[in-house]
Amino acid sequence: MSSETIWDKLQNIDRKVFYWILWIGLMIPFIRPIGLPISIAPSTRDLYNGLLTLEEGDVVWINIAFGVSAWIDCMPATVACTKVILRQGAKLIVVGAYTDADLSWDKLRNSVPDFDQLEYGKDYVYLGYYTGGEAVVAQIASDIRSVFPTDAYGTPLDELPLMKEVNSVHDIDMVLSGDTGDWGDYYMRQWASPYGIPMAEIGIAMLASSYMPFYKSGLLFGISSSSRGGAELEKLIGEPGEATVIMDALSVSHLMVIAAVLLANIGYFATRGRRR
Amino acid sequence: MAYPTAPLEVLGLWTGWLLMLMIYSYPLYKENIVFRWAEHTYIAVMLAVNLVMMVTNVNRIAIQPMLQGQIHYIIPIILGLAMYTLLVADYRWISRYPIAVLVGAGFGLGMRGVLIPNLLDQVVSTITPPAGGAAMDWFNFIYIAIGTICAVSYFLLTYEHTGALRYPTRLGRWFIMIGLGAYFGNTVLFRLSMLSGRAQFFLQVLKIIPM
Repeated sequence: MSSETIWDKLQNIDRKVFYWILWIGLMIPFIRPIGLPISIAPSTRDLYNGLLTLEEGDVVWINIAFGVSAWIDCMPATVACTKVILRQGAKLIVVGAYTDADLSWDKLRNSVPDFDQLEYGKDYVYLGYYTGGEAVVAQIASDIRSVFPTDAYGTPLDELPLMKEVNSVHDIDMVLSGDTGDWGDYYMRQWASPYGIPMAEIGIAMLASSYMPFYKSGLLFGISSSSRGGAELEKLIGEPGEATVIMDALSVSHLMVIAAVLLANIGYFATRGRRR
Repeated sequence: MAYPTAPLEVLGLWTGWLLMLMIYSYPLYKENIVFRWAEHTYIAVMLAVNLVMMVTNVNRIAIQPMLQGQIHYIIPIILGLAMYTLLVADYRWISRYPIAVLVGAGFGLGMRGVLIPNLLDQVVSTITPPAGGAAMDWFNFIYIAIGTICAVSYFLLTYEHTGALRYPTRLGRWFIMIGLGAYFGNTVLFRLSMLSGRAQFFLQVLKIIPM
């Protein structure tokens, strides 16, 4: 007869069982939304308020430093911010630091209906992919054309009305960096700190704790963290979107992880005395 | 975004759906040939995309300007090509030059930017009391101040952690663990976000929920 207790069994559950529960459990809120309330974090509100200070004709630089895999965390906030920027009458320059940047640009372009009312080259441009890390970010600050002689479609920058007067960081009024890695750091070190350009961060969840000190010290005027930040921005602009839809599923997944951690710990402590 | 109707887009959608299931067959079932095929396909496609993007980029920002008379672009091109000498044992020493340039430029640029935002601003932010009188702001201020001092004291490795250092260093270890816990929690949040996105995609392709 087996001497295995319920606590032993709890600790020896095949992890695949948990994966299956998680996978199925995540789908339920999509089919039957719960509608949990979304509160606004101060860092997200500051980001939104910062965007509202933009004036007509200001130039905003958006750095897409996240790949397709991080769309779920970064794209909703990028979409919401872009809507606010364009509605303020500001001009937009978009660049991409990942090789799938063109896909991200297409997604952004198709998710913001405001682009349809605007003219490419005059109101917004997409300069495309660039690489080279911090050195290139520093180079762009002094001479954009040395890194982007043309836009992503091969048009020389001088032929784009918006870019005729944009040569360096001095001609840019705000930077937003959407990140899964270090690109936000590069812009903080090479743009925001030396030139005083207002900068905000749209990061994946794991970057939130890394960037919070820079928000507290005032170098970043706002942070949107993960799809949660995206949902908060969607609430602020009054247009629920992809992030709002996903928040219930995310909350359910967290509850399941917490339950699993609790069960495993209860099992561990219940059997610890016996093991001794 | 509406459900695509163009045949190629529908094909792309279902291909993505199928490849996703193939990849998930590993955690949900076990390692199998379907998973391996999808994994290798993914790596091959990403490599191809990266290669095309990199070559296009080098062509756009260096080769084309050089061909149009900006001859100084030959320097970064030569330095870039020199990196490939790593592959030839007899000439590997040449690759040290581009590496030296990269490290030197990276270090110089990094130092220029690190001192103010990463060090001075953080010190000022830590020692500046909150302007408002909110209790939470003061709690955060005190927490960060004590946490910073104690966590830094934990790394005083040239002194034994006894006497006056005994309690600050132990407390510092707790602060570090809390910090790492928060970081790990955020990492889990990101992974679950990605998984939620895939679950949503799974249902959208099957038209169970709208796209």
